[in-house]
Amino acid sequence: MKQCRALVRKLEEISPYFYYLTLEEPYLAQAAQPGQFLYLRVSTGLSPLLRRPFSVAGTSPAAGTVLLLFRRVGAGTDLLSCLQEGDRLDCLGPLGTPFTYYGSEPAVLLAGGVGVAPLLFLGESLLNGGKSVHLFYGAADATALLPVERFLSPGVLIHYITEDGSVGEQGKLPQAFQRALDRGLSPGELFACGPRPLLAVLARENGQWGYPLQVSLEENMACGVGACQGCSVLIQKDGETVYERVCREGPVFHSKEVVW
Amino acid sequence: MPSLKTRIASLALETPLLTASGTFGFGDEYASLMRLEGLGGLVVKTLTLKPRSGNPPPRLVETPAGMLNAIGLQNPGLKHFLKAELPHLQNRNIPLIISIAGDTEEEYVALAEALDRQTGIAALELNLSCPNVKKGGILFGTDVVILESLVSKVRSVWNKPLIAKLTPNVTAVADLARAAATGGADILSAINTLRGMVIDVATGRPLLGNRFGGLSGPAVRPVAVKMIYEIFEATKLPLIGMGGIMNTDDALQFIMAGATAVAVGTANFVEPQTIPQIAAGLNDYLEKAGLESLHELVGVAHD
Repeated sequence: MKQCRALVRKLEEISPYFYYLTLEEPYLAQAAQPGQFLYLRVSTGLSPLLRRPFSVAGTSPAAGTVLLLFRRVGAGTDLLSCLQEGDRLDCLGPLGTPFTYYGSEPAVLLAGGVGVAPLLFLGESLLNGGKSVHLFYGAADATALLPVERFLSPGVLIHYITEDGSVGEQGKLPQAFQRALDRGLSPGELFACGPRPLLAVLARENGQWGYPLQVSLEENMACGVGACQGCSVLIQKDGETVYERVCREGPVFHSKEVVW
Repeated sequence: MPSLKTRIASLALETPLLTASGTFGFGDEYASLMRLEGLGGLVVKTLTLKPRSGNPPPRLVETPAGMLNAIGLQNPGLKHFLKAELPHLQNRNIPLIISIAGDTEEEYVALAEALDRQTGIAALELNLSCPNVKKGGILFGTDVVILESLVSKVRSVWNKPLIAKLTPNVTAVADLARAAATGGADILSAINTLRGMVIDVATGRPLLGNRFGGLSGPAVRPVAVKMIYEIFEATKLPLIGMGGIMNTDDALQFIMAGATAVAVGTANFVEPQTIPQIAAGLNDYLEKAGLESLHELVGVAHD
């Protein structure tokens, strides 16, 4: 982990409110692993004051670039959306504990909304390792659904799901995934990221499914490096309930260890 | 050549820049980002006798030019600290200040006694923003009688410099400062966080798991500077000022108000290099002003 001033190579609005940011910083491009995040100083003023965490959505070690995907939802992401090519962005990273892939195929990625970001990185990395990968990607409607096939090499089987049916399968992500299981999909391992209520449903349903499931959690953060304990979440381990830090032990946790 | 070397009570510091308790963990979290040896002193996160699991999340939320936190003093407790943290802290060539808290006077005293037997600890800081469970939950730092009694009891078992960290959540901080001085404190530090809350309008409920939290960051700085100014006039004890220090000028405000040393807290989260940057800035300031030492500036804001 280092503090660096990454060069903004490209900022692209891929659909209203959604941005794809390419940062050049060879160290980060080499070091970042799927599931880890960067902690960005979005403002040099006092508001917003704290850094903002963003999961790494991909890397290109050859080009020395790191990719981030974000949705413009507030003061921090407003500022990010105004970055210009050639700007420098103060980054701490890569931070956090990455996903662990245990080797069972197919790997199934379950993404809700902008939670797709770390799963794009994971999917691409598993695909490059010759693994079979499915992505179930759900959002409210077509406007909130990104054309993620653009960011993945051919080979990942993408299942789009929207609640209003405007793109892909109609319904909610857990039900769509259930239908795929009913049709005979037999996952090796599951990886999920998205809003906490969605992750809680997936964790509960997985009580029936019984697959290894890792989730990437989000929590308000101050230091990002494990010092302040501000981002702690309740975790159950060896029969004991303890607080673990999203920024350090997380953001990736085994779903059965999270107290939902 | 100007020097940032600072003497506060019997503590000799290379620079007057400390970390504020709770913002720097036990130091190792920041070791890969900065040279810890560049700190004037490391104030570790508050230690309690028994481990504390802390408050339910969410534990923090950003506020205008600040943040509100309710961590709940999560820490591994004395036994684990002595075994797992103190050895690596002792090996760093940096003055180590241990912040302690308890639910009762006895807990503070037990901690102070145990730490007094250890080597490599430069000073103890009493976190007084804790409820005294034997006195109906009144915070130790908000009642002059309770505060003086606690400080004097810890004083009787702790032989090195003793710092009392005052809370701003009182009517007259000067009275509490005098009580801490009478109790036997060597140094006063101020301020701890200001109590506050944020309500989540989407749910109509308090946003923090603990409902209330402590406000820190630049938003509190004018309050903190004024309290240092008042405390400076109320006692002769040397002061450590803190509250929203982000840069050199902020640090200078506290020094001019009466602080001999300052602590940086929230700014560490934003910019881990804040302390070394302020050290460089203070050095430049002294050179330009033709001063030898910051001691010449302490309290110059007073008539």
